[in-house]
Amino acid sequence: MMKKRIAVVLMGIFAIAILAMGCGSGAKTQPVKSEPQVLNLFSWADNFSPEVLAAFEKKYNCKINYDVFANNEELLAKIQAGGSQYDLIQPSDYMVSTMIKLNLLEKLDKNKIPNRNNIVKNLQSPAYDPTGDYSVIYTWGMTGIVYNKKYVKETPTSWADLWNPAYKGRVILLNDNREVFGMALKKHGFSNNSIDKDQLDTAFADLKKLAPSVLAYDTDTIKQKFIAEEGWIGTMWSGDASFTYKDNKNIGFIIPKEGTVIWADTFAIPKGAKHKDLAEKFINFMYEPKISAQNYEYIGYNDPNEKAQAFHSKEFLSDPMLKVAVDDVKQGEWLKDIGSGLTLYDRYWTELKTIK
Amino acid sequence: MKKNWRSSALFAYALAILAFLYLPLLILTLYSFNNSRINAVWAGFTFDWYLALLHNRRVIEALTNSLVIATISTIISTVLGTMAALALNRYKFKYKAVINGLLYLPILIPEIVMGLSLLVLFSQASVPLGKSTLILAHITFCLSFVIITVNARLEGMHKDLEQAASDLYATPWQTFRYITLPLALPGIVAGALIAFTLSIDDFIISFFVAGPNSTTLPLYVYAMVKRGISPEINALSTVLMFTTISLIVIAQVLQPQHSTAKKKTE
Amino acid sequence: MKNGKILVAPAMLWLSLFFAIPMFIVVAVSFASRTPYGQVIFNFTLANYQRFLEPLYIRIFIDTVFTAFVTTVITFAMGYPLAYCITKLPHKWQQPGLILVMIPFWINFLIRSYAWVIILRSQGLINTLLLNLGWISQPLALLYNDYAVMLGMVYALLPFMVLPIYVSIEQLDARLLEAASDLGAMPFTAFRKITFPLTLPGVAAGSILVFISALGMFVVPDVMGGAKSALIGNLIQNQFLSARDWPFGSALSIVLAILALVLIVLYYKAIQKQEGGGRNEEKLA
Repeated sequence: MMKKRIAVVLMGIFAIAILAMGCGSGAKTQPVKSEPQVLNLFSWADNFSPEVLAAFEKKYNCKINYDVFANNEELLAKIQAGGSQYDLIQPSDYMVSTMIKLNLLEKLDKNKIPNRNNIVKNLQSPAYDPTGDYSVIYTWGMTGIVYNKKYVKETPTSWADLWNPAYKGRVILLNDNREVFGMALKKHGFSNNSIDKDQLDTAFADLKKLAPSVLAYDTDTIKQKFIAEEGWIGTMWSGDASFTYKDNKNIGFIIPKEGTVIWADTFAIPKGAKHKDLAEKFINFMYEPKISAQNYEYIGYNDPNEKAQAFHSKEFLSDPMLKVAVDDVKQGEWLKDIGSGLTLYDRYWTELKTIK
Repeated sequence: MKKNWRSSALFAYALAILAFLYLPLLILTLYSFNNSRINAVWAGFTFDWYLALLHNRRVIEALTNSLVIATISTIISTVLGTMAALALNRYKFKYKAVINGLLYLPILIPEIVMGLSLLVLFSQASVPLGKSTLILAHITFCLSFVIITVNARLEGMHKDLEQAASDLYATPWQTFRYITLPLALPGIVAGALIAFTLSIDDFIISFFVAGPNSTTLPLYVYAMVKRGISPEINALSTVLMFTTISLIVIAQVLQPQHSTAKKKTE
Repeated sequence: MKNGKILVAPAMLWLSLFFAIPMFIVVAVSFASRTPYGQVIFNFTLANYQRFLEPLYIRIFIDTVFTAFVTTVITFAMGYPLAYCITKLPHKWQQPGLILVMIPFWINFLIRSYAWVIILRSQGLINTLLLNLGWISQPLALLYNDYAVMLGMVYALLPFMVLPIYVSIEQLDARLLEAASDLGAMPFTAFRKITFPLTLPGVAAGSILVFISALGMFVVPDVMGGAKSALIGNLIQNQFLSARDWPFGSALSIVLAILALVLIVLYYKAIQKQEGGGRNEEKLA
């Protein structure tokens, strides 16, 4: 009776699974003849053009296992536990410095990655990895003010504009304690890496006043919230602003005069990686000018590759959001790993969330 | 007449709840035809996401992993859980408190803590992370749910039939096979449904115990959030939903007589 | 089945190996401290538990328990009638009915939640509808508040209520109800005096599954609540995924588990009292 019927349903699902497996492995097993090498890549989702990945697999007769994470701390936990078998990872800026300090990264063989010289000079040795021994910058951007010109008539210039009572209930901030406190610290002219209690108290007092105006804290779907015009003004990453602008032309984006966060995702190789050589080949491959252009056109973030400019489409080069970040790059300050200073940030962050 | 009025009101209420359950799915289906990668607002009709889905090797792999892991975890946790529930319901145990603790605590511990602690366990024991560790973890968090659900059935079950069977010299196995099991079956099926549901949609514990090449569908979707979940996932969900519903209908059509016969004998 | 006791062994062995042992690590970590870069150092300290006693964290606990409680009550109010209706379907349609209730939960939770956002947001389905009908002049703030969080939780947890209750109602002896109505009991009286008490094991199981799951929720508060409400699940998640404070996160988890365990024991005591009443009535019938 009941069991049989459920069994039929489950078996149906299972049959589909096997069928799908058949299809999947059929596609995979054909070229597998000379035991291709494997590159275990651990990255953010949708972070590469599929064609570029396929081109690499073809060129080096290898298979890329592309697994994904959604948060730097998750990445750290997995790499720290060891035995995770990844060859190439993509930590963000501050996480690179943490991982260097924890001795979790292999030194890169610079000779095998000649194409890194194609990268814009000031991004070759950023503050989080000053010698550039452990990481190569992949995507980068800046946090700025995003606003909808329909509702925000005066172009914002300063972080203080978020506090404008006219936007009450329509402000959206990134759901990240370092970003939000960093923004408030910058507003008062402090460093966004400050762990000085007085400075943090000043920022916190200010944020408490902003809290009732906040519609939502959101990092992941903030783009959708601005496209759908739920939010009028808020903080956003330049790359995301570019995405948002594509779907809603009323969107504007500026870097406030007080300065802001500059961030990057990078390539790095975890300690004990089994296919280090192939991983380095992959990094090098990604900065070949033509490949790089193709890749960044797909992912839609700023291309740090100077030599690739010639291969980019006009549309990409004139993207107003991406251009803002390039023009104002000097305004950016990298977030550093502030170690135990984070405890106070977290304490205040939690308290901020309890304000109704 | 009055009774009819009452029961139709009740059914209307139930239908409203069903509508509540399916309303988001309707939106989700609609947005699988949305001509926008970021899928925030309606931007026109397209079939592209369904076509893209066919060529997306990674989504298909993730779906396959999910289904395989959920099926295996459901079977094992249902068998182990049912056995445990039967024993717990029938016999007095000396260390009942310890046993109950072991039973309930896995539900009480936040998923992220369970995921991290399993990650530490597996890496200390040098178990390579992958599909096998995913299955081990899924069985662990499904077990308690199965035991609690099956137990809810057993608690309300009349013990007279079993008593009668054993009075009539049925062997313990016969009593189990012909009396206990059929009576407990709806509970077991419900337990299995819960296990399957938990396993197919878990991403926090899964994240920590997954290894190269074992990405499941929820892991894939969860990681996509940062860039915006592709409407391909809506398309995939729509396909899965309608496939499941059709399977139920087919199953229903395949064995109509059997169940009516069964009903008459009851 | 004299040796039937042994049936419990595989599950217990499994849970000891894959749950109890890892849990010892968590307990140990909860008494440890950490380096500035988040590595755990095992030097016994109670600091993590003391920190929990700050009013800020106590308040978050109370808010969370309240939210979970309300969620449980609402899921019960929705889940019981739904389960009851399924048992009243013709036998042939019961299992399909049950699966129909379950299907939404096999679809990825995140995209279902984002679908709710599309329905409820300021330019969403409901607001557009009401604006067009002229019933409201300003969009209602349906999202990013505590009500939206509860709606999301109820939506996420309903099946955990429906299944155990269905299982209990389904085994109810219809003859009891017939007897009651033969004796002149009104349908509602029969329900209150017979059906409900006899299905309490299902209600208990369902409520516990929902309540506990609601205590640990953190995705719903983020998506539906705009990450504005601090619930214990978010607090714990933050310790691991942003504050890099595993010891405090572990301590919070253990406090949460103990708290929930105490509530469950109290709840079962109350239920058993009720059931005692129910059993007596069964005998009378």
